[in-house]
Amino acid sequence: MIGEARIVKLDNLTLLVIMVGTILAMSIFLPERFLTVTNFQSMSSQFPEYGLFAMAIMLTMITGGIDLSVVSVANLSGVAGALVLASHVKAQAMGISPGTIIFLAILAALVVSLICGWFNGLLITAVGVPAIIATLGTNGLFMGIAIILTEGHGIRGFPEEFLFIGSGTILGIPMPLIIFIGVALLVSLMLKKSAQGFKMYMLGSSPLVTRFSGISNNRVIVKTYLMSGLLAGIAAIIIISRVNSMRPGYGYAYLLLAVLLAILGGTNPEGGRGGVLGLCMAIVILQVLQSGLNILSFSPFLKKFIWGLILILFMVVNYYQTNGWPMRNLVRGGVKTGAS
Amino acid sequence: MISKLFQRNETYLFFVIMAFSFFVTVMNPSFLTVENMFDLVKSSSGMAILAIAFFVGLLSRGIDISFPAIAIAGQYIAVNALIAMGVDSLPLAFLISCAVGTAMGATNAFFISSFRMQALIVTLGTSNIFHGALLVFVGTRAINTGKLPHCFKAFGHMNVLTLARPDGTLYGLSVFAVLLLFVIILTWFILNHTLLGKSIYAVGGNYESAKRAGFNIKRTLFFVYGYIGFLSGIMGVMHLSLIRYSNPNYIVDTELLRVIAAVVIGGARITGGSGTLTGTLLGVIMMVILEKNLVLIGLSSYWHQFFIGLVIVLGVSITYYQSKRQNRRNLLFTD
Repeated sequence: MIGEARIVKLDNLTLLVIMVGTILAMSIFLPERFLTVTNFQSMSSQFPEYGLFAMAIMLTMITGGIDLSVVSVANLSGVAGALVLASHVKAQAMGISPGTIIFLAILAALVVSLICGWFNGLLITAVGVPAIIATLGTNGLFMGIAIILTEGHGIRGFPEEFLFIGSGTILGIPMPLIIFIGVALLVSLMLKKSAQGFKMYMLGSSPLVTRFSGISNNRVIVKTYLMSGLLAGIAAIIIISRVNSMRPGYGYAYLLLAVLLAILGGTNPEGGRGGVLGLCMAIVILQVLQSGLNILSFSPFLKKFIWGLILILFMVVNYYQTNGWPMRNLVRGGVKTGAS
Repeated sequence: MISKLFQRNETYLFFVIMAFSFFVTVMNPSFLTVENMFDLVKSSSGMAILAIAFFVGLLSRGIDISFPAIAIAGQYIAVNALIAMGVDSLPLAFLISCAVGTAMGATNAFFISSFRMQALIVTLGTSNIFHGALLVFVGTRAINTGKLPHCFKAFGHMNVLTLARPDGTLYGLSVFAVLLLFVIILTWFILNHTLLGKSIYAVGGNYESAKRAGFNIKRTLFFVYGYIGFLSGIMGVMHLSLIRYSNPNYIVDTELLRVIAAVVIGGARITGGSGTLTGTLLGVIMMVILEKNLVLIGLSSYWHQFFIGLVIVLGVSITYYQSKRQNRRNLLFTD
């Protein structure tokens, strides 16, 4: 336990150094375009979407699984919410207030996301399909339902008031950021203080041990995927409000970014390790880098290339941090032979 | 003997295919004609080769999702190299495409074997690296039929068997079928008659045991991912010859999902070195017949993606539920 705790701290420290480093570098090299209120506002309304996806993937990774269906869940819940919203003109004619419509739309999106999460959890526990392949399948399934519902077209025409969630600000702080911080605090609390959180870490470390300690693995897993679905649903609400329309297929590139962020944030894909703090720092690092690449007008292809590279690099760094750096072993080995 | 046959996934799949073909033929008699079968073989042999590649990866307990990126990279680099050199040679195109594919596969293998990373996450990263690098360093412009070297078009039209319709016009079995047959036999031979094949099953079944039994794991994984890259390279050239158009942006997720769907309904499992080549091929046939006849069942094209997802979910559910029940009967706690 002590060793484990030390590793997590070390990881977060590394992330902190990198985070401060990137922010400093950006401020020094691109001060007039990076250090502006507009840039910070645009940055903090961009990341909550994929940040929530990353948080969902992190939760499932902590239990040793993975949820590859988050983007599709968001698409499907987004379509559900958008369908309700798009009926607002008709509904208002019938005397239903826009507030009620917005409430119903949010409810619809969240309920759909919970159903998706529950379905994933059921496939993994009751049917016994490994998470990786189960969510790969539901990824296609959920997106497919979204396409059928919209027949491939975008849905637009939302009530004016709804757009506040995605583009409004409170005291200059964008709403998506406020939602993200609220969710992040809740998830962090859940992981660190609740029985469910504790069980999730234990399950990820050794499912066999939790099973024989009288913990119902299945219940822990289903709850985890319910939460992961819900996070995707919240992301969906932010997305449809910010984009002001819903078109199935939105955000396919977010999946790579979300997995990258989860791993960058110190989550162990084998399970048992990860946390909100590390994830948030990883998100800041990536968003700052992204904004830098945008300012330097890099092509999206180059960005794709860079994200892939960072993902692999970080996996390598993670590996060496847990298994020891090769050079250090070499030096130690050298000293040993020298002494004998 | 018979009862053993009925315990196998492949048997059920075979009967489902038969029943469905019968249904389709009743609805549409032109389905079960030699000409239509030849067409199906030609248009789906590329997918079959990718399915075999994905299947070999699954056997070693790795999900490799980089094959669409590798196929497009091999194809686009090969066709550009041919145009730049002014050579019109199909063997050279295959050589370049397969070399590119094998190199990319080896890159995957390096990360997977050296750092014991999950294949899915590695290939998620590398497929973005490969595709990003292709678009940044090689080009983004599509190559039209007009600019395409002649050899590809000739390859796409080449038949190994030519038959005549009643009105005297000719149709034939594409040379793709031979290529596919070659890949099937090669893979079958490697998997069932070489030590390398046994080591793939062993690594997939139990990594630690395979290691202690003395299998060279690193070499096995390099072969597996190199072979996936090699087959993707072949598919790249075949696909180009089929559609006579090379667009480096053309990497569709549906291609990935279709292949995965075919392999998982064939009964291959990610948790252990199980599954057969026959199952995979039956899965491909099932998938192709179903897809081609979606409209016949009364479903519009919007249903396509949903349908593939459904097939994957149902396929894996059946496969894993069976093994879950079996494990419980044997008091095996796999959790």
